[in-house]
Amino acid sequence: MYNKNIRGPLVEGNKTLSQISKEILNPMETTPGLWWYIAFGISLIAALFGFYAIYITVSQGIGTWGVNNSVGWGWEIVNFVWWIGIGHAGTAFSIFLLILRQKWRTSINRAAEAMTVIAVMCAALFPALHMGRVWLAFYIFPYPNTRGPLWVNFNSPLFWDFIAITAYLLISFSFWYLGMLPDFATIRDRTTSKIKKAIYGFFGMGWTGSSHHWIRFESLSFILGGIAAVLVVSVHSIVSTDFAVGIIPGWHATLFPPYFVVGAIFSGFAMVMTLMVFVRKMYSLTDYITDNHMDAIARILVFISLIMGTAYSTEVFVAWYSGNEYEMFTFFRNRITGDYTVQFWGMIICNALIPQLFWFKKIRRSWIGLLIISLIINLGMWYERFNIVVTSLSKDYLPSNWVSYNPTYIEIGVYAGTLGLFLAGILLFFRYIPIMAISEVKSVVNIGTKVED
Amino acid sequence: MSRAFKIGVFNEEEKFISSIKSLQEKEFIIYDVFTPYPIHEVFHLLRRKSRLPTAAYFFGLFAIITVLAFLYYTSVLDWPIDYGGKPFNSFPSFIVVTIVLTIFTVTIASLAAFSARSKLYPGKENTIFDHRSTDDKFIIVVNTDSLNNSQLGQLVSLMQEEGAVEVLDKEFETINA
Repeated sequence: MYNKNIRGPLVEGNKTLSQISKEILNPMETTPGLWWYIAFGISLIAALFGFYAIYITVSQGIGTWGVNNSVGWGWEIVNFVWWIGIGHAGTAFSIFLLILRQKWRTSINRAAEAMTVIAVMCAALFPALHMGRVWLAFYIFPYPNTRGPLWVNFNSPLFWDFIAITAYLLISFSFWYLGMLPDFATIRDRTTSKIKKAIYGFFGMGWTGSSHHWIRFESLSFILGGIAAVLVVSVHSIVSTDFAVGIIPGWHATLFPPYFVVGAIFSGFAMVMTLMVFVRKMYSLTDYITDNHMDAIARILVFISLIMGTAYSTEVFVAWYSGNEYEMFTFFRNRITGDYTVQFWGMIICNALIPQLFWFKKIRRSWIGLLIISLIINLGMWYERFNIVVTSLSKDYLPSNWVSYNPTYIEIGVYAGTLGLFLAGILLFFRYIPIMAISEVKSVVNIGTKVED
Repeated sequence: MSRAFKIGVFNEEEKFISSIKSLQEKEFIIYDVFTPYPIHEVFHLLRRKSRLPTAAYFFGLFAIITVLAFLYYTSVLDWPIDYGGKPFNSFPSFIVVTIVLTIFTVTIASLAAFSARSKLYPGKENTIFDHRSTDDKFIIVVNTDSLNNSQLGQLVSLMQEEGAVEVLDKEFETINA
């Protein structure tokens, strides 16, 4: 069981239950500081740039991008995979830790799930735009149609990807929303504002907290958690099969599914850490997200970083061991050396080496250290995806196909736009939805503070 | 609603649970309890069970059969396409679609079942015995229709002995007035 002497209490400061409701709801009840408006302004500017870039893309076509016949997948696919990876944190966090009965998830899971939902929406934008004629995107649905009826190719990883992401978005959102029902009821019952009462009352769906509600709530959480755990593993495995079924050197590896899944959880946890540093700093919720919580995330990150390092070296080893000259060329002449060394070594340094600093307790306990390293990890994960997508495509089997790839400002704009949308989404989440699952925090408040046996 | 209820309001989980136990010993029928967070002991004491997992299993079974039948219909019967001589009914590559669509179906169906069974849906009128139970109070509700006066007195004193901060006569409160 949970041992307080080793790990410290989950919630510090001997809170009463109503104090917990009050403190967690505080960011929603007070007007946000100036930083909120500045950050929201910046995110809206980025989003506007993104909308402009999307407008150009849709109205003029993807010829406005830097992609060409050889490098058919550029920043869009890099960013798609990057966002999906970040979108893995919420589910990984909530669901794996829920199934493993890890109680420290309670003060972090809500924010992680919010991040997931927003990140997956950002991710879904890229493949849709990449179709070129986005208004025909509905062709990808398998419905009886007048084109034959010609069905979609159910054997194609690209179709698998589409349904996996759709299902993932649905289930992440459901899980997130389900967890909010009791909290919406708490807001509804506490607030004095009539508008708030009406709005949160509507979305609270008449929740009362009766024993009938709670037992079904718990059952449903475990059902959704159990089946979503499968999705966490399958979504990114499927994304990796988009690559692994290709015959391009550097993609054709059986290592890809676990490598992608672990990488996704890595970037997701790093993003959770970035967010949590801000939540702690901006809302002074350090009693709920304690140093021990941050410590735990840092420990997970250092562990995953070791797996990432192993995966990188395995890839290089297998390329050498296969004796295949194309694989050898891709890894040794086009990644480790060659045009894309910055991305390759950036990936190694940011993902495999720098997170090793988390072995030091001093760094795990300093918010600047946590913030910087978590940002570096996400930069490294971006490099990793660039490394996989672009290097392999730019120099394949036939030297006459070789091209280099540079993004245009339109591609950069779409990316900046999704960053803006993500930030705006997170800021709105801070403002209008309880940052933590209040009822779950209440259920763990006594763990680790009273003597239990 | 003409039914009469006595509600006991508790500040602490321990007192609340021991009160449920002693009410049950004295054979009072507990109508329901309301808590700010789920308490497993309460589920055991009140013998609350959920059949959602069983339902979810059957949703899943239904989904698997339907999806496989659909894939067979589209790929073998309706419009078979020869992908490099592979069999039309390429079962191994159907597995991914089957898993994902099963998850999709189970999610939607379980949510619907939850909503229907718990009668929770957007915009439902919010009725609750005591609005403090979603914040920090633990509430026991006993239906007093069939109790006589001496039993009522016993009920109230029992709850107070067990540490109820308030014992009230109440009907449902409506929050969105």
